[in-house]
Amino acid sequence: MAGQPNILIRLERLRKEFNGVIAVEGLDLEVTEGEFLCFLGPSGCGKTTTLRMIAGLETPTAGDVYLRGRRITHLPPQQRNVGFVFQNYALFWHMTVYENLAFGLRVRKVDPAEIDRKVKEVAANLELTDVLHERARRLDLSTMQRVAMARTLVTDPEVLLLDEPLNNFRPGLREAMRGELKRWQMHLGRTMIYVTHDQEEAMTLGDRILVMNAGRCAQLDTPRHIYEHPANLFVASFIGRPPMNLIDVQYTVEGERAFLVRDSLRLEVTPLRDKIERALGGQTNLVLGIRPEHLSFGPFSEEGWVQFSLPAVVDLVQPLARKKFLDLKIGDTLIKMVVPGTASFRQGESFPLGFPLHRIHLFHRTTEEAIL
Amino acid sequence: MRKTNWSQALGSGIRWLIGLLICIVVMLPITWVLSISLKPPEEWVAYPPTLVPIEPTFSNYIVLFQPGNPVGGVSEMVSAAQPVTRAFVNSLIVVPIATAASVLIGFLASYATVRFQAGGATLPLFVLTTRMFPPVAFAVPLLVYFRMLNLIDTQLALILMYTGFTIAFSLWMMRGFIEGVPRHVEEAAILDGASPWRVLLTITLPLVRGGLAATGLFVFILNWTEFLLAQVFTSREAITIPVQVSHYVGAVGRFYGPMAALGIVASIPVVVAGYIIQRYLVTGFTFGLVRE
Repeated sequence: MAGQPNILIRLERLRKEFNGVIAVEGLDLEVTEGEFLCFLGPSGCGKTTTLRMIAGLETPTAGDVYLRGRRITHLPPQQRNVGFVFQNYALFWHMTVYENLAFGLRVRKVDPAEIDRKVKEVAANLELTDVLHERARRLDLSTMQRVAMARTLVTDPEVLLLDEPLNNFRPGLREAMRGELKRWQMHLGRTMIYVTHDQEEAMTLGDRILVMNAGRCAQLDTPRHIYEHPANLFVASFIGRPPMNLIDVQYTVEGERAFLVRDSLRLEVTPLRDKIERALGGQTNLVLGIRPEHLSFGPFSEEGWVQFSLPAVVDLVQPLARKKFLDLKIGDTLIKMVVPGTASFRQGESFPLGFPLHRIHLFHRTTEEAIL
Repeated sequence: MRKTNWSQALGSGIRWLIGLLICIVVMLPITWVLSISLKPPEEWVAYPPTLVPIEPTFSNYIVLFQPGNPVGGVSEMVSAAQPVTRAFVNSLIVVPIATAASVLIGFLASYATVRFQAGGATLPLFVLTTRMFPPVAFAVPLLVYFRMLNLIDTQLALILMYTGFTIAFSLWMMRGFIEGVPRHVEEAAILDGASPWRVLLTITLPLVRGGLAATGLFVFILNWTEFLLAQVFTSREAITIPVQVSHYVGAVGRFYGPMAALGIVASIPVVVAGYIIQRYLVTGFTFGLVRE
């Protein structure tokens, strides 16, 4: 194996069309061995299609899939040695858990004693020993999920592909299963690619996240970096709950001072002037992004903080248990803010609003790319 | 509180009434047939009719098997007919074989059209056209072929026709069941390394077992009661039960008693088959546990 031995899967200019509709377009990706990679995006963004192309369940229209440096683009799924956990687990309902686990080995004509040993080993690993002789259709959801994982693990796959496996769980249980999944991954040490539309899932599970939009890679990075430095407007608006405040602004310079202006609302950004102007390329139409959780009440005297020129008026208070969501109005602009649950606000109250300057995000209005 | 009890009582009363009506509508003809089968000739068309025979007799059943037996005074009227044994044996050979063949071929064809779009989107519709003509339209050309092949009045002719004519039903009925098997289940098996045939036989087939049973029962009943083709293509050797029933309509009258008796006897295999299959019918519709 030449090159980097720790690259397990590589996608090269991958493209998939369904009857003229582009599902995936020009996707490049390298998956490192042992990594937990999440594909995150809205439904229909091509994440499941990409996963299915890695598994061999779909054939790419163009581009290539490599496994350990070997081109497997047109290899049938059964020759790829990948495990796939389907959204609905796709268990063999008419079989027992034991038969479900043994199926792949039996197909591969493994020696019966060896099958028995492997099935029992994996079952023990995933706490399935007690239900081995239950019918698959009688299991509860979380057990089904473990059976689905166990079934793919028995054949010792190079990579485990999971397609929204937690979708069937109700919200409370979903979080619990998420934790369990993370535990299994660390315990098993497998490379996993995990498709989800739930950003919290991706943030908590993924070593890295591939954010997809309309068949393309929107950003590929660690969860923290994606949160702190969204590469474009799509990622900025998609990641974070409540979503990032995005405000159309004009960049203007008055003497030595630089401002972001929207109607009568102004925000001084003089310290960032050099950085902004280097990235502007003559453009002055920008989108200001600021996360609800980074906003603060003034007045601000310390270094490194900026303050909106108009006071914010509380429009609506939505209390949650540990925090409150505030809808604020600065001039005509609506802004969302998150404050601790202990803070008390009344509708109509007004106060100066600002944030630490290093929390600012700026995007090109036209290209939608981040400039800061 | 009181009011609820009243309306509940009224509701269940209405349900009872409707249930009873349905039972009467369904059961009355069968009961009537059973009644006639136990009546001597003078009571068959007696007016006013009685549901319970005045002088019950098994003579109608006896003459089915022994047309010459003088019991009950119907023998001279039906002695021209053969014993039903031959028709029974023919039906019991022709119908199960044709049904099994039809369901097997229908299942495979259905799988091919659902999973692989074999023959294109219009093939299933094309197959259905065989049922869009009255069967008699096929009878004449088939009669010519079968005469050339020397297949007139043979079990094989009936098996071939019954298989062919019911494949359309099998194919269409199985489509729904096969579509009900989540594609992912098959893909999981493929990822496990299973060949297409193995997927079909060890995954799909067991999952649509209920559908196969339902289809089988339906086709069995169709074939068991088929009259027209059997009447045209058989004369003596290969006659089936429906044809035998018609033999009790003779020059000297309609022998309702033996006809009814044969109807009752002929229904037994179907009832037994339905009873056996019932178990699978229930399991057949419940595998779609997890939403797609």
